[in-house]
Amino acid sequence: MRKALPYLLSLPALLMCIGILIPFFTAVYYSMLRYRLNLPAMKGFIWFDNYINFFTDPKFWNTLKISLIYAGLTVVLELILGLVIALLLQKRSRVNNFVSILLLLPLMTAPALAALMWKLMTNPNFGILSYLVSLIGFPDMKWGSDPSTALFTVVLVDMWVYTPFMMILLLAGLRSLPTAPFEAAALDGVPRSFVFFRITLPMLMPYLLTATLFRLLDSIQQFDIIYAMTQGGPGDKLLVFQVQAYLDFFQATNVGRSAALMIILWAITYFLSNIFIKQWLKLRERAHGAA
Amino acid sequence: MYDKEKGLFEAFVKNKLSRRELLRTTGKLGLSAGAAGILLTQAQTNAMASDFDWMKYKGSKVKLLLNKHPYADAMIANIEAFKTLTGMDASWDIFPEDVYFDKVTAALSSGSSEYDAFMTGAYMTWTYGPAGWITDLNEYIKDPAKTNPNYNWDDVLPGLRASTSWNGVPGGELGSADAKQWCIPWGFELNNLSYNKPMFDKVGVQPPKNLAELLEVSAKLTKDLGGPYGVGVRGSRSWATIHPGFLSGYANFGERDFTVNDGKLKAAMNTAGSKAFHRDWVKMIQESGPKDWANYTWYQVGTDLGAGASAMIFDADILGYFMNGGDNKEKGNLGYAPFAANPAAAAPTPNVWIWSLAMNNAGAQKDAAWYFMQWASSVEHDLFGARKMDFVNPVRASVWNDDEFRARIDKSYPGYLNQYEVSAPGAKIYFTAQPLFFDLTTLWAENLQKMVAKEIPVDEGLDKMATEMDQKLVEAGLG
Amino acid sequence: MDHTSTFERILRGILLALVVLFFMFPIFWILLMSFQTNESILRMPPSVFFTPTFDNYIALVTGEMRTAAGSLQLNFMQNLWNSVLLSTTSVAVALVLGVPAAYAFARFKFRLGEDIAFTLLSFRFAPPLLVLLPLSLYFKSLGLTNTYIGLIWVYQLICLPLILWIVRGYFEDLSPDIEHAHRIAGYSWFQTFRKIAVPLALPGIAAAGLLAFIFSWNNFVFALVLASADKQPVTVGALAFVTASGIQYGQIAAAIVMSVIPTFVLAMFAQRYLVEGLSLGAVKG
Repeated sequence: MRKALPYLLSLPALLMCIGILIPFFTAVYYSMLRYRLNLPAMKGFIWFDNYINFFTDPKFWNTLKISLIYAGLTVVLELILGLVIALLLQKRSRVNNFVSILLLLPLMTAPALAALMWKLMTNPNFGILSYLVSLIGFPDMKWGSDPSTALFTVVLVDMWVYTPFMMILLLAGLRSLPTAPFEAAALDGVPRSFVFFRITLPMLMPYLLTATLFRLLDSIQQFDIIYAMTQGGPGDKLLVFQVQAYLDFFQATNVGRSAALMIILWAITYFLSNIFIKQWLKLRERAHGAA
Repeated sequence: MYDKEKGLFEAFVKNKLSRRELLRTTGKLGLSAGAAGILLTQAQTNAMASDFDWMKYKGSKVKLLLNKHPYADAMIANIEAFKTLTGMDASWDIFPEDVYFDKVTAALSSGSSEYDAFMTGAYMTWTYGPAGWITDLNEYIKDPAKTNPNYNWDDVLPGLRASTSWNGVPGGELGSADAKQWCIPWGFELNNLSYNKPMFDKVGVQPPKNLAELLEVSAKLTKDLGGPYGVGVRGSRSWATIHPGFLSGYANFGERDFTVNDGKLKAAMNTAGSKAFHRDWVKMIQESGPKDWANYTWYQVGTDLGAGASAMIFDADILGYFMNGGDNKEKGNLGYAPFAANPAAAAPTPNVWIWSLAMNNAGAQKDAAWYFMQWASSVEHDLFGARKMDFVNPVRASVWNDDEFRARIDKSYPGYLNQYEVSAPGAKIYFTAQPLFFDLTTLWAENLQKMVAKEIPVDEGLDKMATEMDQKLVEAGLG
Repeated sequence: MDHTSTFERILRGILLALVVLFFMFPIFWILLMSFQTNESILRMPPSVFFTPTFDNYIALVTGEMRTAAGSLQLNFMQNLWNSVLLSTTSVAVALVLGVPAAYAFARFKFRLGEDIAFTLLSFRFAPPLLVLLPLSLYFKSLGLTNTYIGLIWVYQLICLPLILWIVRGYFEDLSPDIEHAHRIAGYSWFQTFRKIAVPLALPGIAAAGLLAFIFSWNNFVFALVLASADKQPVTVGALAFVTASGIQYGQIAAAIVMSVIPTFVLAMFAQRYLVEGLSLGAVKG
């Protein structure tokens, strides 16, 4: 009984998800087909040709590059900003608690709708943000429609929506840190920067990793914000994985190519999260070994 | 009737009308409107019921997949007429336009039989048809046992009938003898100029007559109006950027998207004529288009015209029509003009978007579905929608000749009938029907964006684009 | 912490004000828009002065929208209800399944434990688009298409991994000593889990549950592909105001406000657990 218990506890959750594995493997099979719904005569099993074709396709490399840049930028910026906000709100007080909930509002706005509103707010004619930046000397800011500012614009919207996610996880982490080391450091007169980098950050690391992992998995798969703001344009500036695969599937009905693209995206996220989780487990071991 | 009611409520809100008065007057209106509705339904039923067993599928129920659109609203407003006529019932799922075609693709690709018929654009049937998701409607239209004798299929504008039929061969001519009728035209839009008359008067310009004038007039408007820009056209990274004004002007110069030789397709966007047109178009956007043109879809183009941010659009005529009503700031200020980009062309050649009805091939009750479809595309319903609702543009010649409809349009939309009549003979789909339509047309828009952003020069960009398209055509076994 | 200088207090104040401005301004602007007509929203330049109207909210609640094209029927309230139903049940199911599993991973070292945990988390990696097409085919043959049960099942993809990993972290931070003591006092494993472990991890569970709720609430692609119009969530309902005769920004803004309220209320309710109740440090000592 003692031995079976953990299996019994995790089994229902696993079973619930196992059903998803079947469609997943179906998709793996699709990715090895030349399979375009509106060219049924062309359908055939081609092993890894869809994947091999990507290697010589500059558009694919562009997609890979943009997706990684987007994910990297948003995660790093949101992590820093989220940590700063969490530190600002660390002290328990009524105001801080209220502000922390208030700051969750952007996260509660569906990204597809948030993007629609941002698109209006950045419209050169009617947009309040365009108007405001024109007052401070940028009368011709073109936001998402200009190749040089498109990435900045979608990253900004992503930060607005998802930084609160980072913030709340890190805040929970900060507040759950044991107080003893900090009291000791304060008594010894240890410099604050030293405390932050040598005590706070390492102890917060598991939370940082969890928050980063979840954001990274979401961000590299971003669709709603980018598609609603620019549809992957201007040009091919924001043609990230999900946008390209969406167009391949829903517009071109190119099931084979779309599935192959998604499998690659899945492999990337699998690889990245493996690294993170290994690190996370190691930290856990160390923390618990020390305690 | 709607205006009257709205006026009443406004008066009530502004305290001009007491609650008692409001209730009494709306009651009267409601009663008379209801009575009128019943009378109209009866008249329709009587006219249609002769010589055909409309009650054959009495008791059955069809389910429709609809886009949230005034055409669907017009149908729903008249659905009692269908129920009375056939004894059938109808239900529907309406999805917002933003996600509508995703829903259609999801439903059809899973082989779902939930929906019997659905709304679609003609371009989409180039995917749905070869994929085997929709039924060739010739089997129904040409069968007197299935189609009522008063259906009068030939009354549907010939360009639209042809544009919705295709033999399924990549590059095959639309409306050829061996073509399959993939869908029934329901309502359509053609592309011409809609413009703000007070703005034109202020600057002292007339609606342009060709592309050179369009550039000139838009530039002057942008410069002299001091605020609003000259001409609104779409620019988002989507096939939808190509099909309205852009392709209409492009086709007017006799330019093609693809050439077909021995059944092989080849991109034709890099001819000298095409390059010249692209150069002008790009220049027009850079000089007098919206600042954030690359964001522009149907909605932005329309919103700007309606809110007075733009002086003119080269887009769907019904977009200009919608912006002349509602709570738009510029309502009542808009005019309409036909537009032939090529000074040497005899008439405009507007490319068209056709909202159509198609039949789900996996549907379980196709004959009953066809009963709905022939009713929804009948002269009677078309007339109802054109007179009472915004079922515009109607697809039937007889409706365009209806005095009541003409009077309604002429009164509130000056120049609309004229722009339609001048350009209707040349109105059809100017794209080549082929399975890669969405991929390649989106690629076209992507390159247009790069040209407007000055990331690539026009001529070189078009050569590169044509090469890339040819390669994709070969990969798909089409080139 | 208490010996902060005046300079630092001011700096903190300014920083916090900037943060609140950045995150709250768009919300504030959306709130303003929800009380305006489209004509008033689409002014050049935009302005904060307008005559407020409740029409947008009235249209959403009564289900009737008046546009250029006449009167339209809406079912926004139905969409709102669908969102509440789908998100609440999905999170509830995910909690029932996920919390015991999280406890198992935190407390027991067992063969394949990490592998199972990783597999569960890996469902989070699968791009929804990847599984949607095959899923719609299988749903059809299983008769799950267009059922709440089918949707709730698919929503586990969003909820379960999140709950599992966050709650696991909290369990691991709790010292097992208290539970041991409780067990020694003669209580069964299940009683200990229910009376000691879960209450102690409640802040973590609340936080994870709230985040899972938010992510379920914001998802719409699953319902779009797998269910018909009467089961669509609030996002799809709000997109209905993007109409052929123009985008009804006022109504979209009102729809956003109304769709945020339930989650916000929930967050305020959970606040005690979410931020005030995080006194884990004392427990760990």
